[in-house]
Amino acid sequence: MKKLHFLEVEGNTKGFFTFLGLFGLISLIGILSAYYMEHNGHWVTGMNNQIIWGTPHVFAIFLIVAASGALNIASISSVFSKTAYKPLSRLSGIMAISLLSGGLVVLLLDLGRPDRLIVAMTQFNLVSIFTWNILLYTGFMGIVGVYLWTMMDRPYNKLTKKAGMAAFIWRLILTTGTGSIFGFLVAREAYDSALLAPMFIIMSFSFGLAFFLLFLMGSYKYTQRELGDYIVSRLKNLLGVFVAAVLYFVLVYHLTNLYSADHRDITVFILTGGGIYTFLFWVVQIALGSLVPLFLLYGPTGKNRAMIALAAALIILGGMAQLYVIIIGGQAFPMSLFPGMEVSSSFYDGVIASYAPSLPEILLGLGGVGVTLLLMTVAIAALKFMPASLADEVADPHSK
Amino acid sequence: MWLHLNFNFGFNSSFVSKSLKKLPLTVAGLAFIAGINTVNANQDGLGPKITIPESSGESCILPSAEMRRQHPDLLKHDRIQTLREGVRAKADGGKLDGSLKQCVNCHAIKDASSKFVRIDNDQHFCVSCHKYAAVSIDCFQCHRDIPEGDGEFHALTNHKGINYSNIVPGTSSLTIKDMANIAPEVISDDN
Amino acid sequence: MTINIENEKKGAMTTTNVESSRRNFIFGSVAAAGLTVAPGMMLYQTANARSQSEKATSKVRWGMLVDTTKDVDWNKCVDACNNEHGLGNEHKSRDDQKTQYIRVVDVKNKGTGYSISLPVMCQHCEKPPCVDVCPTGASMKRPDGIVLVDRHRCIGCRYCMMACPYKARSFVHEVLSDQKENTPRGKGCVESCNMCVNRIDNGQEPACVEASDGAIIFGDLNNPESPISKILAKHGGKQIRADLKLNPGVHYQGI
Ligand code: SF4
Ligand code: SF4
Repeated sequence: MKKLHFLEVEGNTKGFFTFLGLFGLISLIGILSAYYMEHNGHWVTGMNNQIIWGTPHVFAIFLIVAASGALNIASISSVFSKTAYKPLSRLSGIMAISLLSGGLVVLLLDLGRPDRLIVAMTQFNLVSIFTWNILLYTGFMGIVGVYLWTMMDRPYNKLTKKAGMAAFIWRLILTTGTGSIFGFLVAREAYDSALLAPMFIIMSFSFGLAFFLLFLMGSYKYTQRELGDYIVSRLKNLLGVFVAAVLYFVLVYHLTNLYSADHRDITVFILTGGGIYTFLFWVVQIALGSLVPLFLLYGPTGKNRAMIALAAALIILGGMAQLYVIIIGGQAFPMSLFPGMEVSSSFYDGVIASYAPSLPEILLGLGGVGVTLLLMTVAIAALKFMPASLADEVADPHSK
Repeated sequence: MWLHLNFNFGFNSSFVSKSLKKLPLTVAGLAFIAGINTVNANQDGLGPKITIPESSGESCILPSAEMRRQHPDLLKHDRIQTLREGVRAKADGGKLDGSLKQCVNCHAIKDASSKFVRIDNDQHFCVSCHKYAAVSIDCFQCHRDIPEGDGEFHALTNHKGINYSNIVPGTSSLTIKDMANIAPEVISDDN
Repeated sequence: MTINIENEKKGAMTTTNVESSRRNFIFGSVAAAGLTVAPGMMLYQTANARSQSEKATSKVRWGMLVDTTKDVDWNKCVDACNNEHGLGNEHKSRDDQKTQYIRVVDVKNKGTGYSISLPVMCQHCEKPPCVDVCPTGASMKRPDGIVLVDRHRCIGCRYCMMACPYKARSFVHEVLSDQKENTPRGKGCVESCNMCVNRIDNGQEPACVEASDGAIIFGDLNNPESPISKILAKHGGKQIRADLKLNPGVHYQGI
């Protein structure tokens, strides 16, 4: 095994500036659309008093969930001492921070009063799970930051394992917290399930790794660094396991809900009668986002880089669909003021709420992805996050 | 709106260190000084002009100079008492109940056609100063900006709009020099 | 009308001219409202009345009792509410984006075809989930049981709307102008029925109660001698989704 060597990405190249400009532009467009939404008020969006959290939340929660998942690689390496993942742990750490930042930017800019961020940072209601999430996110950034530092500063290497352990525990709590934002909503049938938090954890494994793998393959391709089959096939096999695990959880989640009287209606709605949500569930989440990628990863195409990248992209798409169904589908289904009765009012009681994402919402969401990629681009050029080569003779601990 | 706010913050910050040592000023007070200080260099009357409505001679719970400085704190204190604690009137038999509603009722300004001017008008009592000091006011995004009734139950201004002939004959807005005469305490604080 | 006579007197006696004119402004409107109330109407009890300079305390818990068996046009209550709080001044929002503090809900039993209508507003829960989830403490319960949004603190995250089981809350989707003096409300904040807290503090009943022809009773649930408590004790009442154990302050008969 050759010695592992980390190197910044050369910043003074046309390619680098192209990506910098591209991601910067996407971020800027996102921020401008947020400004447009804030300036006018949310009437310009598809959101309303029934669909309270819209597309920006789908993006934001995807990014936040993926953030903790992206840290997985580092955790496997330092907590579970799997040396094979060690070359990737720095990238994994910085990606976790970038994804979280991107998600938080979206979450913040979709507030009704983003100008009052200072209020959110100074006036805490410690009963609120939302408050806990704010603290968890801030803490996550800090801990992962320290973790990265112990990895990158040689004298502190011996602390890496401890920092990694702290980060690992923190990220489990963090995703549980994110899931609990929904889990605590007792009145909403779609969310009132103990399975939601663990499901979010397993979803984070899958989304985070898909994003990581895609970024890894892309960045190595465009920087013309070598990325050997050893790493790629390990990662894609792991990814497949996560996808299957999510699938299993989704199955259990819906089955238990079908058997519980309280949740049957919403489950039937999502699975059979929910129009767009049913379509998104079966076609995008299950077929395109889970089954097709599993086939691509484990089937005859399992060694083809393009197909692996496609699978990762599909998993991301499926993940977005899954969150869309959970977040927006869950709100669209009416809450029952009088269980078992037919209810109607001028405030849309008893009817499936309608929602169509508006362009600014989508652009804001994409802006969050842009921010993530922008941060990553700057980071890998500024500091030694990426191994100069991940060729098999470097990455494979068994190679000579 | 929030972009504006950020801008103002940047604008004020350079004065913070200097003024902070002297007095526990509010941000708004700082901004006020900041605004005036900025144009001090330009005392020939070309700088921004402030438009203050004519007073009816009465004063609020504190002398004008203190009101100018302390009104944000007073309002903040009262809004907590009123909204969160349910105290609607001053226990000490104080003069005013401290609701923004009351501020508006006393300070509302009428235009030439005898209609109250709204918050988008530079002559609005609060706007006249805040615009000059470049401090955005959030209050009227939610609060009503003019009295609901005729608003004259306790007039601090004559509700008549801007007329400075009593201060500086023949002018409709004041320069920084005029300001120094009306409110010397604001200027002197910063020196 | 049960206004706080004591405070009014004190105010008038001990103050200067300026002040008494202010007092008259505030309490004058109360007196006027008092005159319009028909004699014999069920009004709320004075036992735990508090002067305007005192803090709200948990000795009192304000609540309402809605008799859905009475033949009243609940839309009158809706109109009274909209009027009191200046609702309906959105010009750009879609219908599903506009604020409603109180709405008329029609409930029908699919099996029997039996149906009723009832007004639903914020239920002023004793254990309000909207307060629990609010990250900033903007969504708050006053000690006397009135649940409010402190718009000075609300960041518009809308988590409280997600948490409320009664869909009682609305988000302001556009820039507002021409609000009512007593009900500040604006873009980017969440709002809901505030039980006409401005009227209650002034010794008046909520607007919907006044417009309900006696079908809604308002009063102190903590005081066993108040009409509302007596009626509840004698005839009982039900809360919507009592199974959620939030103990709403709004009770119903005939549901
Ligand atoms: S009804 Fe809804 S808004 Fe009102 S107190 Fe209960 S949870 Fe909060
Ligand atoms: S929208 Fe406002 S009141 Fe509601 S939870 Fe968020 S900050 Fe609290």
